[in-house]
Amino acid sequence: MEELLNLLKDIRPDVDFENETELIDDGILDSMDVVSIISAIDDVFDVQIRITELDPENFNSVENLWALIQSLKK
Amino acid sequence: MAFFRFDNIKVTGIACAVPSNEVSSDSYKSQFGDEEVEKFKIMTGVCASRRTSEHQTASDLGFRAASELLTHLGVRPEEIGALIFASHSPDYRRPSTAFVLQYRLGIGKEAVCYDISLGCSSLVVGMQTLASIMNTGDIDKALLIVGDTAGKSVCTNDRSSVMLFGEAGGALLLEKQSSHKIESLIRSDGSGYRYMIIPGGGYRNLHADPKPIMCKDGNERSLLNSFIQGTSVFTFTIFDVPRLIKDFFAKTETTSEDYDVFAFHQANLYILKQIAKKTKIPFDKVPISLDRFGNTSGASAIVTLCDRYGNIEKNKTLRVLACGFGIGISLGITTFDIDTENILPIFEDDSFFEEGLITDPNQLYEK
Repeated sequence: MEELLNLLKDIRPDVDFENETELIDDGILDSMDVVSIISAIDDVFDVQIRITELDPENFNSVENLWALIQSLKK
Repeated sequence: MAFFRFDNIKVTGIACAVPSNEVSSDSYKSQFGDEEVEKFKIMTGVCASRRTSEHQTASDLGFRAASELLTHLGVRPEEIGALIFASHSPDYRRPSTAFVLQYRLGIGKEAVCYDISLGCSSLVVGMQTLASIMNTGDIDKALLIVGDTAGKSVCTNDRSSVMLFGEAGGALLLEKQSSHKIESLIRSDGSGYRYMIIPGGGYRNLHADPKPIMCKDGNERSLLNSFIQGTSVFTFTIFDVPRLIKDFFAKTETTSEDYDVFAFHQANLYILKQIAKKTKIPFDKVPISLDRFGNTSGASAIVTLCDRYGNIEKNKTLRVLACGFGIGISLGITTFDIDTENILPIFEDDSFFEEGLITDPNQLYEK
């Protein structure tokens, strides 16, 4: 999870990823951020998040995103 | 795996043409606001593009490019044994635009001519098709003409696309020559047929309503306008295109060091940087033309090479890796050698084929 947090902070250093739980619903991340995050997750975790997994809920918090990565790794 | 290797075919030259009408991205600030346009420029890298007039088509631009190329190379039209026009912007719903170009260029009746309906991958797939025809037939010279006028099908209020596309036509000549290698790897993914689409006007919905409506992403479009599902396209390009390139390197036992230049489809700057980063291709080997010409669809790799090398005085042979990807979903790579003296500078052209503009059916009865 630490690796994911670092990855997210590299993309948006201004966002409090540890505490935010409405990253998409509150408009903190935009579509470009999501694309950058998807690309970085592919690089770091070798996990491809496809269009079918682009449920905004998956990107609302670092916990949700971590859970998605873990489920795709299986 | 759709991998192709040709050992006896050379790309002897390329040329392209664009209209002179330059439209800057900044000119949309009054319509969409400063912030929206600045954000678009940062993300896509497109600061300006060239646009055709109402009746000028991709084939008009391709015609100029092909005419210049044949003249430069000293090739007579009757020497051409095959002509393919690869585009999503045909002159007519039927017949194939290749026949119009055959007629205009003076290519002989012995030639095989047809269209391939493709957009951003048209150069790569068109080259592979022509090389295959040459390899199995008795054709020594073949002409590929690519290009699109994608902006014409974008709703003028669609801020997601209206600033993105530029219009251009390109031409490439293939000749049978020993000891020249072309390799191609092509993939397709029909599950993404809806990602980039004009849903109306084809035979599924021939008389679709042309009235624009407000879409869920906040942009106006009609069924006759281009639709791009941005996030899907992004994810496809950042996953599948790097994988294609890595697989091509593995199949051909090459690395980025084996190529002088990577002529990538000019989709947008962010995508190009992502692809280069993921494939470890030095970005200084990826020339950019989209900043001044926009996303010129299937012609973009040729426009980029002509922009970069068209005015170089000292001749040099380049090993090129061209990569096209987009609507379909269709993606592919082709590699080839080309002499920079046969990469022509970009031509500007605003003319159109007046004989081909039929506004009254009775014109068709005229001789």
